[in-house]
Amino acid sequence: MSTLLVENLTKTYPGTRKAPPVEAVKGISFSVEKGEFLGLLGPNGAGKSTTLGCISTLVRPSGGRIVVDGAEVGKDSSGVKRRIAVVPQMRNLDRELTVRELLTYHGRYFGLPAAEREARATRLLDELQVADKAGAKPATLSGGQQQRVMIARALMHDPQVVLLDEPTTGLDPQARRLLWETLRSLHERGLTFILTTHYMEEADRLCQRVAIVDHGKILTLDTPAALKKSLPGAQVLDLWMRARQPLAPRLREIAGVLKIEAVEATDGEELERLRLFVDPGEGLLDRVLAAVREGGADLRHVSLAQPSLEDVYIHLTGRELRE
Amino acid sequence: MTAFLALLRRDLQVASRQAPFLLIGTLTQPILVILVFGNILPRLGLVSARFGIVMMPGLMAIAILMAGVQGVLMPLVQDFSGTREVDERLLAPISVLGVTVERIVAGAVHAAAAGLVAGPAMMLLMHGAGLGDVVPTWWLLLPLIAICGLLSASFGLTLGTQVQPRFAGLLFAVVLGPMMLFGCAYYPWAQLKAIGPLQYLFLLNPLTFVSEAMRLAVTPEAPHMPTPLLLFGLVGWLLVFTFLGKRAFEKRAIL
Repeated sequence: MSTLLVENLTKTYPGTRKAPPVEAVKGISFSVEKGEFLGLLGPNGAGKSTTLGCISTLVRPSGGRIVVDGAEVGKDSSGVKRRIAVVPQMRNLDRELTVRELLTYHGRYFGLPAAEREARATRLLDELQVADKAGAKPATLSGGQQQRVMIARALMHDPQVVLLDEPTTGLDPQARRLLWETLRSLHERGLTFILTTHYMEEADRLCQRVAIVDHGKILTLDTPAALKKSLPGAQVLDLWMRARQPLAPRLREIAGVLKIEAVEATDGEELERLRLFVDPGEGLLDRVLAAVREGGADLRHVSLAQPSLEDVYIHLTGRELRE
Repeated sequence: MTAFLALLRRDLQVASRQAPFLLIGTLTQPILVILVFGNILPRLGLVSARFGIVMMPGLMAIAILMAGVQGVLMPLVQDFSGTREVDERLLAPISVLGVTVERIVAGAVHAAAAGLVAGPAMMLLMHGAGLGDVVPTWWLLLPLIAICGLLSASFGLTLGTQVQPRFAGLLFAVVLGPMMLFGCAYYPWAQLKAIGPLQYLFLLNPLTFVSEAMRLAVTPEAPHMPTPLLLFGLVGWLLVFTFLGKRAFEKRAIL
């Protein structure tokens, strides 16, 4: 049986006098097995955080069913809360307590006996490399340290599923890498994670399966490798240019070009972007460049790369996943 | 229950660390007021010495109300204006009602402590100034302070959840200030008979009941409200504010 089951989850935030209702989640279903690392990848506003909010009981679902290891959201909230832990997007450490107290109080809330909560706090502070900050107030910690304290706090009550909401947003690249390492080693020890992110690299590195979420729906859900394999061709060739006439018909003729998509221009970008899914072979690039030249286009950039999860996103939505 | 007690413990521990500041904040105003109205003005012959006796329980009531309201209001306003520390409480294995009641109880402890410090401090002050001795009926005072503390904290919860954080600064001028003037702190409710049926409008102010409760326990010789009405008012407002506060809290905390 799955550790977490989400079935047809919907959530509509009620409107106000000034704002219409917002349909944030429009029927999301997925399940998570014990020990799995699942990612929800999508842009801001896709419904990822709302989905996590519903699982954590802090957002009231409008419809659907969520079951965490036998405890159902809406029916046994305390049971759900004992089984999950949340590392929220917003750093919400209790400012009045020291780092160590943050952990031991969390243990108290969950009824851990004194000896156990002290031992666990010591172990987790150590594991998350914040032992030297045990006596400090959270306000004096860096963003990365606060994030690690929030993870330590989440693990105090030995949850079955840990929900990570955009855990590395706002961290510098070094802190982000350190956090990735930490999460990977925790996962290797058997913890179950659900992560939301709009960093495709983060989803690719950490997650065993990734759900691509857009406009409140899951567009696809599979392993990162299978998602990338689902794209036509072995590589992705991007052309940024100013075209005088449509080039796609001309390019489609070229052997090795399997599919052509126009990528929607993002804010401030004036160049047209064509995306070619290709099987690279002898002379392919030459043939493509020749076709572009013959079409009279002013070519500005070219990129040829292995497909990434972002390419899967673009393929599914026709838009770029902006970081 | 474990989570409830653990949350309460956290709140009281944090409050005890801030006790000196809370005490100064609670005591300054009533002590200065009693100094002016119970000592300086009587000496100038502008008010009778008895006025000190009349208003001393009222000042205790104000101290209780303000401490109870602030004890709940300030953390709530901060929470809802962005820190979301409240989520850590909501994620503990406890119901939303449990989280709400804990907040009220913690606020009530603030309030009761404020009353228990302000009362004797003012008694000493009055004794020292030769304004007469006040001997409270302790067995009555303690439970009344407890229920007045709960009422004040539940009122703070209602304010804290109904008011937009950006308007929190206005609360004192627009809500708490007028409440203090029209909450029978400076005059006994019974004597308002002189203004006719308007007297009953004062019952809409929860502070009226807190003031009268203190009057009953601290200066029973002064005129005060009939006890059944007093108890009805205290318990009634407590239930109303707990209900309104819990409902609004849940609405804002659980999206």
